[in-house]
Amino acid sequence: MRAVIMLVLGTVLSALLFPPQWYPPKLRFTLAEYFGPPAAVSTPNSTMMAMPELTEPMCPEDLLGWREAQIIEGVSIAATLACVADNPYAIAAFVKGTNNVSTDTLMRAGLTPDALVKGADLDGDGDPDEIHIRLEIAELNGGSPDSQEPTAQYAIAPGITPGMWVFVPKSFGMATENFDSVIAKELLRSPSPAIRVEQGDRVFITLENTHYLPHTIHFHGVDHPFLRADGEGNDGVPMASELPVEAGQARTYELTPRSTGTAFYHCHVQPQSHILMGLQGMFIVEENRPNNTLQSMNIGAGQVRVVSQASREEYDQEYDLQYTDIDSALNNIIQETNDPARIQDWLHGGYNLASSHSDYYTVNGRSFPYSYRESLIVTEPNERIRLRVLNAGGEGLALHTHGHKATATHLDGVAQAEQSQVTRDVFWLASAQRIDLLLNTSNDGTHSYGPGVWMLHDHTGRGTTNNGIAPGGNMSAIVYRDFIDENGWPITRGEDLGMFFAPEFYRRDLRFGELEPSSAWSLFLLLRLLGFALALGLVLASIVQILMPLVRGRR
Amino acid sequence: MRAQGSLRVCLLVALLGIANTSYAQHEAHEQHDQHGDSHQGMQFDSKGMVMNSNVDVLPQNCSAISEDLAFTVRAGTDYAIKNAGRIFGFSQYEFRAKPCARVTVTFINEDQVRHQWMLHGLPRYLYAQGMFHLEANAGETVSGAFIVPADDATYLVHCDITQHMEKGMKAQFIVGAGGEQLWSVPSVTADFNIEKRMPYGAYMLIGIVALISAALISFRLLGKNS
Ligand SMILES: [Cu+2]
Ligand SMILES: [Cu+2]
Repeated sequence: MRAVIMLVLGTVLSALLFPPQWYPPKLRFTLAEYFGPPAAVSTPNSTMMAMPELTEPMCPEDLLGWREAQIIEGVSIAATLACVADNPYAIAAFVKGTNNVSTDTLMRAGLTPDALVKGADLDGDGDPDEIHIRLEIAELNGGSPDSQEPTAQYAIAPGITPGMWVFVPKSFGMATENFDSVIAKELLRSPSPAIRVEQGDRVFITLENTHYLPHTIHFHGVDHPFLRADGEGNDGVPMASELPVEAGQARTYELTPRSTGTAFYHCHVQPQSHILMGLQGMFIVEENRPNNTLQSMNIGAGQVRVVSQASREEYDQEYDLQYTDIDSALNNIIQETNDPARIQDWLHGGYNLASSHSDYYTVNGRSFPYSYRESLIVTEPNERIRLRVLNAGGEGLALHTHGHKATATHLDGVAQAEQSQVTRDVFWLASAQRIDLLLNTSNDGTHSYGPGVWMLHDHTGRGTTNNGIAPGGNMSAIVYRDFIDENGWPITRGEDLGMFFAPEFYRRDLRFGELEPSSAWSLFLLLRLLGFALALGLVLASIVQILMPLVRGRR
Repeated sequence: MRAQGSLRVCLLVALLGIANTSYAQHEAHEQHDQHGDSHQGMQFDSKGMVMNSNVDVLPQNCSAISEDLAFTVRAGTDYAIKNAGRIFGFSQYEFRAKPCARVTVTFINEDQVRHQWMLHGLPRYLYAQGMFHLEANAGETVSGAFIVPADDATYLVHCDITQHMEKGMKAQFIVGAGGEQLWSVPSVTADFNIEKRMPYGAYMLIGIVALISAALISFRLLGKNS
């Protein structure tokens, strides 16, 4: 009898306390018809939406004069018209070789004396042909046992810091800007540097594995022998050519590329995760020309400030554009634990690439709006611009040039005969594909529709979002000189771009109105939920109590 | 111990916050500093680098050098083997010196990649950026000296290549009675390892637990009475 009372009581209580947000919509409408609209959460009054406060300038001031055209160590470095430029001392060292510049230049560049050694002129045509490059591996936005904040931070967009591994030139000193900062120094960034060598150069690339997991370098699309001169493996593929380079170990790869073109280098250990973690970069073999001293590395890809002789002949400017996509579920594994064994567990099987998809899309290591700081293509009318494009990501890229139709001169590094070169405004790049585009800014109604700020982006919807929030992703722009201010920021006619620099915009924290219930209301809902659960427990217990004698009785 | 831990979380978070917000100023300022004329007294060659070596200038409040100490530190992956979850290591993780001691460190790198022995927190009037820094290329040996200040303190020593500190290259240098112990120094102090934030399903979990416990309690009560 008591149990029956309890059952009735419990049922009534649980029905009363049933959380209203779980009512089926139909019932909610019916209730509303009889009792009026629910008063729990009322629609707020319309207010002017407050813009989030800017925590950083859209375009930081160039205090060190890195954007200017300048001559360092006799190397003539072109100006950067976009907002943020590479360190010109590093560029000079990458042209002359770190063995051929002053200690002062090296200190300013942050590079070690053996980072990029240039040797003899083997063919006697006025440029060095022995090139020895040393690459280390940096972990950006990695975890720490002492902090919840990532270490060596590199934000791809405001407040977005996915874990990353990148190949970096050999540098000295601290990994951060200074001891008080958690921001990685400028040499440690995504993407891995674009590497440029000349056809026929004797190239040695040493991987000094400063990372805690094993890695290799595989040269995708670059002419290289399967074995080194000493018979050791040289392809960087653990399943086929050699064992990977363990933590704290080093290995040298040797190549003398006979063919030219835009290629790709990446780690080939557990390629389902290591490539997407960021161990990927552009590798460019330039045509052999006299006095062709190349800028052997381009930090973070982007504008090439010292172009090759062959490019000088045909083009006014050259840009390296590396696109990739990031799945933060993979990349943030390194922030979840400090134990390399557990990280390895997750990379091996805990993370399943086959049932995942990317949430961030970058061009040269940044997503919009940061991509606007570094990756604008700034042009005068009537220029011929070479865009070397690599899709290093796992998803396809539909690269759309607003206001322009570009021409694909090379596919995967191979020159296309003139009559088979395609001119269009969307280029599809599957994973690992490269296309060299000729962007002609003559206002003829086809190649260009005239001066302006013309977007340059991936047209697959996701590609222009940061984790599904637009505008974001790999958006950049082709900007004519009349449409860029002296600091390198585009003069746009639309909405204020400032709001996109607020981290809350991309954290889904921005509310278009005061829709958040008060904390008192949340507490009430929580108590009600608890009450409901208790009442339901009472019902279950009473049912068991009533049924028990019947079950026993039947026995 | 627990309260102390959470205090440290707060401090750490606060510090990181400050570091973050003032980043723009720092950046510009320090780059001038770094790229400017502050590289005197620096050795920089194919072996590696020595920064802010000081054998004779006494820190304030030191009237004389109290003792001469020499440490030989080896670095490499081999020294991490006995430390769980670590990949890189030093041969020694704790150093002690009297106030005003002159310390000579010989740093031997047994790996095929760079490593560093970088000590932070020294007075900035004597040591640029408050640090003493040794950096050795693969297989190289570098050495330098510094004079510790008169105050009891514990200084952080680490290798600042990304993740080398986190993966084992962290040590503490104790002067006199020392200051607060550092966290996660291999074989010396415990890891900090902050708990991850509660998942959003926590409310659901609370509900389910309440349901089960209510069932159990009322079942007991009913059972006694009928
Ligand atoms: Cu790898
Ligand atoms: Cu190290």
